[in-house]
Amino acid sequence: MAENEIMYVCKRTVVSTKPVQPGKHHPLSVLDRHMEKNHLRVVCYYKGPRGQEEAGEITKRLRESLSEVLTHFPIMTGRLIQNDKGHWMIKCNDAGVRMVEARAKGNVEDWLGSVDRGREMMLVHWEDMYYKPYFWSTFYVQVTEFEEGGLAIGLSCIHLLADPTCATMFIKAWADTTLPRKMLAPPFFDPLPPRRPGNRIPNHKPYTALIDHYNFSLHNSNPSTDAKHTTITLAFSDHMVQACMDMTLSSSATPNKPSPSPFEALAGLFWVCISKVKSLRNGLLNMSICLDARKVLGLHKAFFGNCMIYNKVHLDGLEEHKLSQAARAIGEVVAKMDSEGIMDLIEWLEQNESLTPPLMNSCDLICSNLEVVDIHSSEFIEKLRPIQVSYYVEPVFGIGQVLIFPALPGEGPLGRVAMVTLPEDEVIKLCEDELLMQFSPTILMGVNRTHA
Amino acid sequence: MSSESERTATSDGVQIHQSRRLPDFLQSVNLKYVKLGYHYLVSYLLTLCLVPLMAVILIQASQLNPDDLHLLWLHLQYNLVSVVIFFVVLVFGSTVYIMTRPRSVYLVDYSCYRPPSHLQVKFHQFMEHSKLTGDFDDSSLEFQRRILQRSGLGEETYVPEAMHYLPPRPSMSAAREEAEQVMFGALDNLFANTNVKAKDIGILVVNCSLFNPTPSLSAMILNKYKLRGNIRSFNLGGMGCSAGVIAIDLAKDLLQVHRNTYAVVVSTENITQNWYFGNKKSMLIPNCLFRVGGSAVLLSNKSSDRRRAKYKLVHVVRTHRGADDKAFRCVYQEQDDAGKTGVSLSKDLMAIAGGALKANITTLGPLVLPISEQLLFFSTLVTKKLLNAKVKPYIPDFKLAFDHFCIHAGGRAVIDELEKNLQLLPTHVEASRMTLHRFGNTSSSSIWYELAYTEAKGRMRKRNRVWQIAFGSGFKCNSAVWEALRNVKPSPNSPWEDCIDKYPVQIVA
Repeated sequence: MAENEIMYVCKRTVVSTKPVQPGKHHPLSVLDRHMEKNHLRVVCYYKGPRGQEEAGEITKRLRESLSEVLTHFPIMTGRLIQNDKGHWMIKCNDAGVRMVEARAKGNVEDWLGSVDRGREMMLVHWEDMYYKPYFWSTFYVQVTEFEEGGLAIGLSCIHLLADPTCATMFIKAWADTTLPRKMLAPPFFDPLPPRRPGNRIPNHKPYTALIDHYNFSLHNSNPSTDAKHTTITLAFSDHMVQACMDMTLSSSATPNKPSPSPFEALAGLFWVCISKVKSLRNGLLNMSICLDARKVLGLHKAFFGNCMIYNKVHLDGLEEHKLSQAARAIGEVVAKMDSEGIMDLIEWLEQNESLTPPLMNSCDLICSNLEVVDIHSSEFIEKLRPIQVSYYVEPVFGIGQVLIFPALPGEGPLGRVAMVTLPEDEVIKLCEDELLMQFSPTILMGVNRTHA
Repeated sequence: MSSESERTATSDGVQIHQSRRLPDFLQSVNLKYVKLGYHYLVSYLLTLCLVPLMAVILIQASQLNPDDLHLLWLHLQYNLVSVVIFFVVLVFGSTVYIMTRPRSVYLVDYSCYRPPSHLQVKFHQFMEHSKLTGDFDDSSLEFQRRILQRSGLGEETYVPEAMHYLPPRPSMSAAREEAEQVMFGALDNLFANTNVKAKDIGILVVNCSLFNPTPSLSAMILNKYKLRGNIRSFNLGGMGCSAGVIAIDLAKDLLQVHRNTYAVVVSTENITQNWYFGNKKSMLIPNCLFRVGGSAVLLSNKSSDRRRAKYKLVHVVRTHRGADDKAFRCVYQEQDDAGKTGVSLSKDLMAIAGGALKANITTLGPLVLPISEQLLFFSTLVTKKLLNAKVKPYIPDFKLAFDHFCIHAGGRAVIDELEKNLQLLPTHVEASRMTLHRFGNTSSSSIWYELAYTEAKGRMRKRNRVWQIAFGSGFKCNSAVWEALRNVKPSPNSPWEDCIDKYPVQIVA
């Protein structure tokens, strides 16, 4: 049984090696505060090194390097307190992160052969906020050593502090410190930049779509909790993604349109397939896309904090689930999410902030673009890159969620992995969908195999 | 004279206890120099008296002529027997004297353990872990928080591995691990610095108050370092924070009996199984103060070591107040109503400590104080007794007897109390305060951390005298007096090596 396979050794608090300057506080931006109700989970799998090390040796090394790397991330080791406006902020008091150590039977390849959402969740520890947030750790790290070789590293954190990009940045930094290599990009903790006054275009028509979308979700977040969700991981190889991109171009009316990006193609594909699965005869269901806005806003890629913006994609009056039109609609929305629009959104959010943030994943199908994450270059052990990575943005209520991120480097630059979270019965139908099967995705993680 | 002059109640003047009103003349600055002059006069009195004596002899000798010498020689010849007997007695007497003189005990080197930085506990983590165990109610948590804030401890003190887990995992094996880490860490360092071989160690004394497994901690050391089979090993348990000095005293006595050998004294304490998880306030204080630490000292009675030794042991004075019931119950390990074990500290701890100190310095005073101070004390005593005058008892100025003070860092209150009672200056108690800040209360080894601090600051010069005072359960007050044999530099890998430049720090609240 799954419960017997993982043995929890201990849980402890890990602090940074150099004490942080006392009295420092870090405010959270309005985008951060918007994500309060969600939390993030990342799991990375590594093969074991040749030459067996003693059980617990790797964990010990990882613990020591975790201490070192936390020196550069004082936000992670701080604790949440409320400022006078009632907003959350971080008190950088170096209270530490929780680290759980675990042992698993078998080796990592066998585990990956039979993993599902429930079992993968056992590799990542998470605790919901206590009634006393001042003593609650915002980050949790779990290191699971496989007895016959292999390692799984799980990181979970409240979305209030980090988005998947910076969670990945942290894992990369931690890996660099373990090796040891010089950390290539120390994180930036500056607040979101305000709109530069000189850039105010007179008579500028604000891009209201973003604001409208956030406004809508603020007032309509009523999660439906009846359906039990499960997650599957599908991997698309390089030329399959290319084929998908080509298909979106093939029946396009304007041949001069630029080729869609892999994200747009795959997002369109899932949009169409999931709509079919949910038995929507006409039109496609409501979907929002989520993009990393660091580049658009001109922020350094090592900016630490939430920088993922959601926007709605509509496509009315569509007959026949047409992949190309779906992809095009997505592409248009992506293009319109420029820095001005995002700045407008941020200003609007600051003015209209309510103290109860919404559950962002609750009303639509969400499709997130995590292509900026560079998880595959994080090596904890010399020359051993991750063999599989999973991302979760929890909790998922409502329709569902798709996360798209790069595949292993061996799969080619266009290879992508998609993690799809849907109610269980819909997932099974999705796996049998014709259109999806045309691109022969490899199922890395399937539906619940352990029929308990 | 300046008897009626300026009332310069400044810090330049003699430190006066605030609550007693003294005649004005004692507050004047000039009196300090009079006192100093008197002190030097009495100290060198003998030398001063010798000068006229030498003068007389020289004059007499210069007036001798060969006839007088011849007469002297004849006198000696006639009284040969008495002369021979006199010389025999002299030689015999000197031999007996030399043979029965106590052997000097030299402190070759010592080493204090500095735990790895991941064992450090910050205030927030202390409070967070205490809260998350669920054993403490809100008033206990608040109490611990207040004690911690006013304790004088910094954010770099160390707590054993077992307490860093959530929930904490105290166990016997974890306690053994802590003991091993600390003792072997200190001993490895000591052996590396002194190059002493295992087979040369003839005496081993270990003291650890709260953890006494079988086989003993001294057996653990013997096993690890493969010490020789006929070693005299002792393990002192339950003797509290003053056991460090007791162990030194025991080693000193053994070194009188066993010639030409080395003695290793290891002082430590064990926190792992002694954390109190209950709600009785008097038993919560040790959680906030006691921290991981230990020391290892190498003593020698070989005269060849005099050249490389740092200090010579001058006196050890032990005072035990256990005959008094209140003193006996002052620091008491017991179970609370819920059955949880802890060490409870009574409210009159300070008063009892003061009493124990007085008893100790009454014995120590005559041994170490210069004649000048003893005369003053004696005359004040006589005046009080015979003339029944309302004269305040004279508190001898120990600053004239000692250059450095190592007061056991039991807590801020203890150091404050002693600073007041002995009229010490802040520089004298700096070593104690900074050790409390950096390492917390490491029990019997704290006096060694303080000595290491003084050395690291470069203040230890040749012929400086050091007074180590330790208080402990019982209630005991033990003192050790050392004299520096050279300008002492800190040994390699000293616990203060990486942070001495940050000290002294100002302790707030």
